[in-house]
Amino acid sequence: MPLLECRGLTRSFGGLVAVDNVNMAIEAGEIRAVIGPNGAGKSTLFNIITGVLPVSDGQTVFAGEMITGLPVYRVVQKGIARTFQLTHLFPDLTAHENVRIAAQAQHADRWRPLAGGHVLAASRKVADEALEQMRLSRFSGVKAGMLSHGDQRLLEIGMAIAQKPRLLMLDEPTQGLSIEETDRAVQILRDMLAKGDLTVILVEHDMEVVFKLADKITVLHRGRVIADGLPDEVKANDEVQSAYLGGLE
Amino acid sequence: MRERLVIALSAVLLCLVPLVVPNYTLTLIVEALIFGLFAMSLDLMVGYTRLHSFGHAAAYGMGAYSTALILLHFNLPLPIGIILGVAISVVIAIPIAWICTKSTGVSFAMLTLAFAQLGYAMIFRFKDISGGSDGIGGIPRPAGPFGIDFFQSKSGYFYLVVFCLVGSYLLCRAIVTSPFGAVLTGIRENEAKTRALGYNTRAYKMAVVVMAYGFGSLAGALYTPFAGFVAPELFFWLVSGRVLIMVIVGGAGTLIGPILGGICFMLLEQQLSEVTELWPLIFGSIFIAFVMLAPDGIWGLLTKRFRSKQVVPGDGEDGETSRATP
Ligand SMILES: Nc1ncnc2c1ncn2[C@@H]1O[C@H](COP(=O)(O)OP(=O)(O)O)[C@@H](O)[C@H]1O
Ligand SMILES: [Mg+2]
Repeated sequence: MPLLECRGLTRSFGGLVAVDNVNMAIEAGEIRAVIGPNGAGKSTLFNIITGVLPVSDGQTVFAGEMITGLPVYRVVQKGIARTFQLTHLFPDLTAHENVRIAAQAQHADRWRPLAGGHVLAASRKVADEALEQMRLSRFSGVKAGMLSHGDQRLLEIGMAIAQKPRLLMLDEPTQGLSIEETDRAVQILRDMLAKGDLTVILVEHDMEVVFKLADKITVLHRGRVIADGLPDEVKANDEVQSAYLGGLE
Repeated sequence: MRERLVIALSAVLLCLVPLVVPNYTLTLIVEALIFGLFAMSLDLMVGYTRLHSFGHAAAYGMGAYSTALILLHFNLPLPIGIILGVAISVVIAIPIAWICTKSTGVSFAMLTLAFAQLGYAMIFRFKDISGGSDGIGGIPRPAGPFGIDFFQSKSGYFYLVVFCLVGSYLLCRAIVTSPFGAVLTGIRENEAKTRALGYNTRAYKMAVVVMAYGFGSLAGALYTPFAGFVAPELFFWLVSGRVLIMVIVGGAGTLIGPILGGICFMLLEQQLSEVTELWPLIFGSIFIAFVMLAPDGIWGLLTKRFRSKQVVPGDGEDGETSRATP
């Protein structure tokens, strides 16, 4: 049984069908890249899987459980963590506080107004580890808004892994990064993936990054899946070549 | 450590107040402390969750009226009356919080205002119980339980208010530094992200609104037996506006700041409104000056020197320039 299964997911905005009948199955432990030109519907697909936006049609099954229509906080509680294409942080809080709030979300006593010292201590520890993993430990006490763009992207990934998700969804983690920053981010992501048995869906426009990281690739074009498979198969696909890769390479 | 010392010291100093000030001044001070508590309760919403309420008078009025009615119609000791008054207010605050948190921003503020005005209107609608525009007078301070009666004297009541203020402050401080408080901070900084991290932000907002109404109603409940009467003005929007200004001038998001803001402004108002008609103008000017020149409020000004000395070792500006290279 796949960890995540999308069945005919569809989302339209007025007349525009941004995500059109997408079927996709992600096995546990898989690193799946979702690629496609700008406006292909990748971010919208993320938003409807996680419940940030309601679907127009179709279903999402996560770990054997239907999650369609659940509000985003319920979906996330089932074990899905994501980052946003445009960085979503708490800019006025320190890097450490950002990750701590993320880590706390997974604690059963996260809501405690009193007698919650153990929750704070546990979250602090998870936050330290996540910052370490993102190699951001030295910025622990710096306000998130003061970090460089590249470090902010990494911080948001750090928040996502601090949630200890079963499925991690990253929306263009290297967007807007310089070449050096991208290399560093890819190195960190690789280390992170090599370590755990994480399942990942990665939206990425940088083909080099995709071929370095992904086990399998899904290609979206105008909301539809036009190809699906191993990196080499996808690379060789004519339709993909003309729709996307040809234009870039 | 230093902060604890300051708080303990101010508590001790406060306890000496009734011994040194004249009777009339003590009345003013008690009312000021009650208003300090009221302002602090609003800070939970304004400063910690960025939920701007224009109707916090509803909390004050509910606490005041329910306590007044209980003390008047049931032969219960004063502390029990106050506790029941707060409990009733908290129960009424639950549906209010449920409805208000359906919206955000300006509509949230307008909804809170609407509920305060609704309370105001209800006083006039149910004259038989509420006394209408005349209010209710002759509210007693019954002794007990266990023969406790220190609060029947004015200086004794002062100690009761100090006890409630310090207790509420400690409780609120525990709340804002708890896991729950961390979620409130998240909501304040970026609610969408907080939801996307897996928190049901609506539930947290409802909870903090109910808490704020609870502490606010305690202020109202303490006021009633002290003044001996209640009037519909307690629900009036001017009360809501004034307490919001006190939170901002005192320093939103600090608890202590709004307490100081509430106390200072009540004392200033009582002094100045006697000598000059221009008090509202002065009040307005002070508010504008704070918003423009000292947005962190009184407490921000007081702690600025202390804070600027706090440098996080190895972090800060240094971290910006010398980037980590793995
Ligand atoms: N909230 C929205 N309202 C209206 N149109 C939207 C919205 N979000 C995305 N779209 C449209 O849907 C299409 C897909 O967008 P998006 O999912 O962001 O693409 P991608 O992430 O692949 O670049 C685009 O044409 C975009 O303009
Ligand atoms: Mg996108």
